[in-house]
Formats: sequence, C-alpha cells, structure tokens
Amino acid sequence: MGLLAYGADGYGDELLDGALVTVQLAVFSYLLAAILGTLMAVLTLKPHGLRWMIGRVYASVATGIPSLLVIFLLYYGGTEIVHALLAPFGVEERPAIPPMAAAVAALTFVYTPYLADLLRSALQNVPKGQLEAAEVLSVPRRQIWLKVLLPQALRIAYPGFVNIWVVLLKDTALVSLAGLTDLIAAAKVASGSTREPFLFYGVVVVFFILFSAATIRLANRQSRRLDRGVRASEA
Amino acid sequence: MGPALPIPTPTPAPQGAGTRLRTRAAIELRDLRKRYGEQEVLRGVTLTVERGEKIVLCGPSGSGKSTLIRCINGLERHDGGTIAVNGVTLEADGRGVQDVRREVGMVFQHFNLFPHMTVLENCTFAPRQALGLSAAAAAERAMHHLARVRIADQAGKFPAQLSGGQQQRVAIARALCMDPRIMLFDEPTSALDPEMVAEVLQVMEELAAQGMTMLCVTHEMGFARHVADRCVFLDGGEIVEQAGAERFFVAPESDRLKRFLRQMLH
Amino acid sequence: MTFDFALAWTSLPALLNGAWMTVLITVSVMAVGAVLGFGMCLVRMSRNRALAAIGAAYVAVFRGAPSIVLLYLVYAGLPQLSIVRDTPLWLLFASPLFCAILGLGLNHSAYVVEILRGGLSAVPAGPVEAALALGLPPRIVFVKVRLPMAVRYGLKAYQNEVLIFLKSTVAVGAVTIADLTGAANEIFAMTYDPFTPLVTAGAMYWLLTNGLRLGFEALDRRLNRHLAATVPDRRPATVRRSRPGLSLFRQPLVRRLPAKPAARETH
Repeated sequence: MGLLAYGADGYGDELLDGALVTVQLAVFSYLLAAILGTLMAVLTLKPHGLRWMIGRVYASVATGIPSLLVIFLLYYGGTEIVHALLAPFGVEERPAIPPMAAAVAALTFVYTPYLADLLRSALQNVPKGQLEAAEVLSVPRRQIWLKVLLPQALRIAYPGFVNIWVVLLKDTALVSLAGLTDLIAAAKVASGSTREPFLFYGVVVVFFILFSAATIRLANRQSRRLDRGVRASEA
Repeated sequence: MGPALPIPTPTPAPQGAGTRLRTRAAIELRDLRKRYGEQEVLRGVTLTVERGEKIVLCGPSGSGKSTLIRCINGLERHDGGTIAVNGVTLEADGRGVQDVRREVGMVFQHFNLFPHMTVLENCTFAPRQALGLSAAAAAERAMHHLARVRIADQAGKFPAQLSGGQQQRVAIARALCMDPRIMLFDEPTSALDPEMVAEVLQVMEELAAQGMTMLCVTHEMGFARHVADRCVFLDGGEIVEQAGAERFFVAPESDRLKRFLRQMLH
Repeated sequence: MTFDFALAWTSLPALLNGAWMTVLITVSVMAVGAVLGFGMCLVRMSRNRALAAIGAAYVAVFRGAPSIVLLYLVYAGLPQLSIVRDTPLWLLFASPLFCAILGLGLNHSAYVVEILRGGLSAVPAGPVEAALALGLPPRIVFVKVRLPMAVRYGLKAYQNEVLIFLKSTVAVGAVTIADLTGAANEIFAMTYDPFTPLVTAGAMYWLLTNGLRLGFEALDRRLNRHLAATVPDRRPATVRRSRPGLSLFRQPLVRRLPAKPAARETH
C-alpha cells in the first residue's frame, strides 16, 4: 500500500494529478457539449430545412466515428485547422494546440449531437399547450424559451443527460493514447515501473465506479428537485 | 351451433408424481386455502365438479375466483387443502402439476397469445413440444380446432393483427389442441369490446354443448343461464352460495349474493 | 489542411488491413459477449443470493471500468498470476489479440447481461403463464417463449451497445494491435499528413457503424414483423421503437446507465 503514498516513494500524487486531468477533461467537455447541444437542439427543432439537414449530417459523422480518431485529428491537425479557419480573416497564426484543448474540443464535438438529440426530442414532448398558454399571456419569446420550454424539456431529458455523462466519463479514458497524462496514463507508468498492475489498475477501476456512482447520486437528488410539482406517473 | 364433434374419450392419466384416486369427479377441491402474505385469499373452498358439468363462478373483484382457478392448474401454489383433477392430486409443493396441466386447458382474460408466433404456430407449439407431435400432425390438429372456432382463415396471421374477439377464439383453439378434458376460463370476455363478446360466448356455448367439462369465471349472466349446470358465488375467499342457474339468479338466498346481483344489474 | 487523394489511394491497402482487424475484433467480442453475457445473466438472475451477488459484482466492475483499463488488466495483469504464467494458458495471454478480445468482451458482456435482464423482466407474465398452463416444461417455456420475447425487447438497446463498443475498439491500440486507427496513425507518422489518413479512416468507421446499424434495423424489422400491422404497439413504452424505418442519418443512441437508475434510459 506504500506504493499509493504521496511523495517520492509512492505514486499517490501522480495518480491524483491524473485523476484531476480526467475529471477536468470530462467536466469541461460535458459542459461545452451541453451548451452547444442546447443551441443545436433549438436551431434544428423543425425536422426539415437546411439547418436540420446540416445538423443531421454533423450528428451522423460525430456519432459514426470513434472519439479517439477525432482527438488525434485535432491534436495532430489542430494547428492547421485553426490556421485555415483564421486565414480568410487575414490572421496568419499557427498556434500550437495543447493536448488538453484538443481532447476537450474533440469530446465536445462528439457529444454535442447526442445531447442535442435528447433535448430536441424532449422539447418536442413538451405539451403544445405550454407554448400557446405563454403566447396568449404575451410572454416575450426569449422568456418563453428560457422559463417555460427549456426547463420542462430539461426535466424530460434529464435521465438521458446523466446517461451521456457516464458514457463520456469513461470515454475520456482513451485520451492517454493521445499522450495526455490522465489517470490511466499515470496508472500505466506506475504499474510499469512497480510491476503491480492489479493494484494500480484496480485503483483506476474503483475510481471510475465510485466517481460515476457519486455523480449519479448527485444527479438523482437534483432530478428530484426538477420533478417538484410533477405528479408521478403510474410507472 | 357449429358441427358436433366427438368428445375425446377419456384415457388413463399418465402416471407421474400425482397419485391416482378412485373418484369420478373431474375436479375435487377440499378445504382449499391460499394466502398472499397476511391476506387470506381462499379460506377453505370445497367444490366438486363432475365430469361434463359446466360451472359458472362469480363474485365481486378480490373474492378469490381467479386465484381459485389458477390454483387448479398450479399457476398459483395452494397453501392448504387438496386439489384433485381427474383423480390426479396436485400437491402443495407442485408435484403432479405437469400431469394436471395435461388434463386442463385454460383461457385467460387477456388471451396471452404468443405475440411472436403466428396463429397456427400458437396452436402447434404445445402439441409439438409437449406431446411430441410431428409438424404435420400438429398443424392438422390445429387447423381442425381453428375451424371449430371459425378462424381457420386467419391461421397465417400474427396475434397483433387480429381483433380481441378473434384472439380469444385463437386462445380457445390453442387450449383445445392439447385435448384437455377440462377447460378453465378466467373472465374470457372481460377484456373484450362489447361487440366482440358474443362471438367468444358462442364458441364457449358450442364447446359446452359438445360435453366439455367447464369451470368459468364470468359475469355474463346470459351465458350462465344458458349453459351453467350450477352457479357458484364466491365472496371473501369462501363459497357463499351455489345453485342451479335459474334459482341462483331468480331466488338468491344470501344477502351478499342479493347485493352482488343488484350491483351487477346496474 | 488538404485532403491528398493520391495518398489516400496508396494508403488504402494499409487502412483496409486495419479495418479488417477492427471488424475481426468486433465480431469476436460480440461472440464472447453473447456467450459470457447469457451465462452471467443467468447467474445475475439466480434465486441463490450469493450467485446473484456475484453476477451483480461482475456487472458493476466490468461495466463500470473503461474498456482500456480492462485491456491493461488482462494484458499486463493476468500474466502475473502463476496460474497463467506457469501453465499453457500463457500461450493465450501472450497474444495481444486474445487479450484485447477478452478485455473488450468482459466489458461488452456486462452490458449484455443488463440488456438481457431488462428484456427478460419486461416479458409480461401472461404468455409465460399460458405456456405453462399448456403443460410445457419450464425449460421449453424459457427457451421458446420468454427468451425470444426478451431478445426482441432488448434488440434496440443491444444495437446501441454494439455500435458504441465498435467505436471503443480503438482502445486495442493500447495493447499494440494495429487496428484501423492504428493504421491511420502509422501513415500519419510516416507522412506527417494527419488529415488524409485520419479522415479516410473516419469514413471507414462511418461505413462500418452505419452498415451495422442498417443490419440491426433489418433484423429488427424481421423479428418484429408480427407488430408490422396497423394495430397499436402494446409493448412497454421503454422498449417501443422510437422511430421505425430506415433512415441514413439516424444517430445511434447511447448505452444504458450503469448502477442504479436502471429503469431510466434513453429511448
């Protein structure tokens, strides 16, 4: 157990740093994906037209390829992509893309359409009367969205959102293959030099199980708050 | 009325775990008891159904009538008393259940057809798997019984493509394919739209006319008057009153039955 | 940032080689997952408390752990046990491919357990009782009535799981296997052109996932043709297909949640 100690003799500090990278990566990617997903859901609400078509193509690509591939693409090619995006504006920059930024961008790119799809179908399930009731009360359009439609849709989409969170959390484990020193990478180094793979990978497994369990618990408590004022259905 | 068909001649029940008793009764229940946790659903029911007899069982919801007939073919395990079907005893621990089920066909309130099988497959499934019939023999038998319930033309369809009344008639045919000597009906028309009740009752009446021993849980009073040799009123897990159909409906004795019949008419 | 068609053409054989490895692993893992998943589902649903607890632990660990960690555990961890090191088992565990299939298979099978369990518990009592009342032995009732209905209920969730684990096979790079992503990476390392190999590989993954999805949808239509009529869908809401039919731009959905809120899942 001394191997897990903090400091020069143990790998406790390395593992903790790695866990921090994993958590940061998951949290940032998820928050960005939630914001962009909400935007995408609202923009592609009507199932026809150009916006919807673009949304479908994007969703199909993002959900049809492994996120690690996107991570590699942004990590190796990110500099060129940023350059190509900025060039039309006369900016000749070739910024180096840190691995963390590439990973966050890639996971955001992949998970945005998942969350958008959940929220879109939830929005479509908010009773039409809600919109009409707010309209006849002449509530401003922005307020209808922010105070009436989105909160109700979020309640419907909530379980799916929690679901995606857990999937994304586990997907972050792949970033070690792209050179990020996350928890997996730390465990790999530690088990390689101590020849104690069971100990270190065991710690990783326990971390992932406990961390997702803890966040699900938190989410469920939050969901009960969201369910205030809603009569439980028969199931 | 449909074509009269020969009743299958009684053959000796297969010797299994059950013990064969010397009795002529089709079903013999003695002091049958069943409880769910604290609640006593059957409190000592004693009932004898003779061969060829048709009995209608009625009572308010929760009176234990469904539980009673589900005990007879072992879908529920009884806690006390004895059950004997054609002389084969069904033990409380489940011994003898397979032998009893060979003797007894059952029709459910919600049809319970196998949704992933066609009508024909629904009917050939058990004869092939349990009796070891060849595909051809099972199909022949199935078509015979499907014709009997006048639904042979739908044999290739799936249950979801049929109306409720049609599904229930298929369910009756499915049970008949095992050549049961006794048929149990658990509210066979309660889940049907009103316009479909008659087609199912007619099939049941034909079955009765052909001499089948029947124990029916039903609230169809017309059916009871036409067909039942005896009506049994169950309330609170015990038999409160039993009589021939005419006397049962016209001159009930107990207050509970009178109250029940009054509610039925409303 | 350009796509080099000539490079894409010349690297096609290498990428197809990698794609073949990805397909091989996917199919093997599906087989392992089906066998292990079915067996462990019976353990998980056992009436024996101890067995059921073992099943639950199996699911919690192998579903909760990221598959790459399981790969490392199998590849680097198991050979440390003397039962592996000092017996002919060593020959198996020396093979990265075997370790990859076992590691991913453990992860996948844990999902199969839960999908199958969900399907089995969604089967209504009625048809099962009807089969028992017909005098059929319980084993036949399970194999011919309960299991086929459960498989139909679970098919959609299984499809989602397979599509997700197909994408997670990229983790095999961790145990030195050159799959499709590995092949693309190698071409990048040689040419310093990230776009051409990675985008080509991405297109191949897209074809694989969508081909598999169309296959599943065809299977779903075949198995559920008994519901094709105009009669309303009476299956439980959780298993109803949300949008039946064939459409290329439908996205695969997501795995079920591990741990507690098992009843809550997307679609």
